[in-house]
Amino acid sequence: MPAQSHPLLRLSQITKTFGTIRAVWNLDLEVYPGDFLAIFGPNGAGKTTLLRIIASLTQPTSGRIEFSQKNSSQNRQQVGYVSHQSLLYNELTGFENLLFYARLYGIGNAQDRADEMLAKMGLEQAGDQLVREYSRGMKQRLTLARALLHEPQLLLLDEPYTGLDQHGSRLFTQVLEGLKEEGRTVLLITHNLGEGLALCTRAVIQHRGVLVFQAARQEFEKSEFEKLYFRAVEPGARSQEPGARSQESGVRSQESESRIEKSESRSQNREVGDQRS
Amino acid sequence: MSWEIEHILTRSAARYLRITGWLLIPLYFLMVLALYGAFLYAPTEKVMGEVQRIFYFHVGAAWNAFLAFFGVFLGGLAYLITRKQWWDHLAAASAEIGVVFTTIVLTTGPIWAKPVWNTWWPWGDPRVMTTMVLWLIYIAYLILRSSLPEGEKKYRYCAVFGIIGFLDVPIVWFSIRWWRTIHPLVITGTGEQLEPEMIHALVVSVITFTVLYLSLLMLRMAMRLNSSVAEEVGQRLLEERVERV
Amino acid sequence: MNHITLIWIIAEKDLRIEYRSRQQAFLTTLFFALLILVIFIFAFDPGSRATRDASPGILWVALLFPGVIQLNRSFQTEIEEGTLCGMILSPVDRGVLFLGKLVANWIFLVIIDLLILLAFVIFFNFAFSSQLLWIVLLIVLASVGITGVGTIFAAMVSSIHTREVLLPILLFPILVPIILAALSGTQEILLREQMQSLNRSIQLLVGFDVIFLAAGFLLFEYVVGD
Repeated sequence: MPAQSHPLLRLSQITKTFGTIRAVWNLDLEVYPGDFLAIFGPNGAGKTTLLRIIASLTQPTSGRIEFSQKNSSQNRQQVGYVSHQSLLYNELTGFENLLFYARLYGIGNAQDRADEMLAKMGLEQAGDQLVREYSRGMKQRLTLARALLHEPQLLLLDEPYTGLDQHGSRLFTQVLEGLKEEGRTVLLITHNLGEGLALCTRAVIQHRGVLVFQAARQEFEKSEFEKLYFRAVEPGARSQEPGARSQESGVRSQESESRIEKSESRSQNREVGDQRS
Repeated sequence: MSWEIEHILTRSAARYLRITGWLLIPLYFLMVLALYGAFLYAPTEKVMGEVQRIFYFHVGAAWNAFLAFFGVFLGGLAYLITRKQWWDHLAAASAEIGVVFTTIVLTTGPIWAKPVWNTWWPWGDPRVMTTMVLWLIYIAYLILRSSLPEGEKKYRYCAVFGIIGFLDVPIVWFSIRWWRTIHPLVITGTGEQLEPEMIHALVVSVITFTVLYLSLLMLRMAMRLNSSVAEEVGQRLLEERVERV
Repeated sequence: MNHITLIWIIAEKDLRIEYRSRQQAFLTTLFFALLILVIFIFAFDPGSRATRDASPGILWVALLFPGVIQLNRSFQTEIEEGTLCGMILSPVDRGVLFLGKLVANWIFLVIIDLLILLAFVIFFNFAFSSQLLWIVLLIVLASVGITGVGTIFAAMVSSIHTREVLLPILLFPILVPIILAALSGTQEILLREQMQSLNRSIQLLVGFDVIFLAAGFLLFEYVVGD
């Protein structure tokens, strides 16, 4: 792991509120080149907002985002984003979609690039088909192709497994594994603990706008993480379990030294168990 | 109750209510003076008669409408630059007051126009038509406000519409006046000759209306701040309750 | 890639989508405008002098509504699959994005308006003369201003569920100057022998177009994104 390198992205004290609702609260996060970071959390935890802030689709209410490359106008070139929505035109063909976006990104040889990406995603046969005729899995791979067109340094994936069947999920996982081998930096939001943990090099749990857990993948077991996750995010489940009511001190995981922050202490400066620091 | 809620409460609107209170004192005396000026001090207009006295209220209301819409413009512009919600409160409060006073202009106008021009609604007059368009623009502004969910996006959109709306007003005025010149209508200008007493009464009236605008603005600002604070406190209390479960 | 090319890439994409999927929508919009004309013909005595005098107004009412429908739809397609977000993600300048959407809306609007004009001339029994070219010019110019404000407002209301009603409420009061200038120009052309103020109409339209385009261009960045 490129442990000592410079962070590709550093978020410090990011807060985003919608009206009176806090989506992200005083969040700090560092992402290093080659990281495959999985972000878990229940609905409404602010995961999507976090990704949108990184993609500069939303301005944070306060806090700072720093990319390793200082030129802020180039930030958009550094980020590839796969959202809940496909970001594709149903009435254009797969090829036309990629060509359109490739031109928006100012890619010199847009046609070749679009062909190349179609081939990479196994869609070369479907290039001239309208996207509206695509299966969910094909559409999702085209969405990923769109996000990768401009070779972004940082890829943001927001629940890419939603709506995919087993076959589609497997194909998609293969593509993601390929990206991991290429050493790309990826932030993946998912509900699917299995897929997420299989892929990631580092796992994070976000709950009510706060990162409550953060650890490198090799530092914990999968079964342990699942237990930890449900304790962390479900207040109802917590109170039912005897011994899990120790909300004042937070739950500790011995192996990882990671702390689960209790929500009351949000405003404090947190030290999340990041082994790099 | 956590420190957060106490912190929020300190931002409450007490200061604006205090300012409103202080404004009410001069407003009271000014209103008495303005009424005296309009009904007793100013002479009766020779041609139009007593009905012309509505002029002092009509012009005062129009002045306030203009001030208010300038407030919407200024609030919107400042919001886009600073992103401080305070400016949006200013724009919103101004728009509400502006619509009220434009409505007053549009109701006092016909009362005056009917006996003088023998028509309730002199469509050919650029002032009448511009006021009408102004009224439509700012009612549209309020409809837009109520259609958008609370949040930073709402303030931005309203700011954009407020700016375009305000820039549109002189263009509307100009185009209607030009349109009038090529479509002459029966109604001609009144050619009023204002006597000095009338001007004095008008000046007092306009000052009174300005103070009235400021008082209403402070009152509406206080209400807006209070309701947003109340909402925030409610949200925090809800969060704390959820966390205690 | 230079800005003009980018504007055209965005506009061409819109027109391609319109052409491919929305021929039906195009015909529906056109039919709606024709319906407005027909209703006016039923409402007034078609042969009378008064109806003829009112005909320029009728034409512009029939021209305004399709514009609103088109503007609403133009952002509806972008919201459905989040493609507006996709364009914002790209390094393309917001102003370029605005102009791209505007050009597509403008071309669409001019095409539909010319078809309505054709129907209008036939229904109201005006002569096909070179005079009509002046009306075409007025339509082309007025459409610039209408889409200039309309594009920014349509982007604003696209996330609101009452957008169909809201867009005309926001748009029509603002468009009064454009409508007045285009309307009096049309009156000159259709109803008067000599056209002494037509030049002025055209000058005003150009001036208003510049103002509205500039306002839209500068303010568009505030209405995209959350």
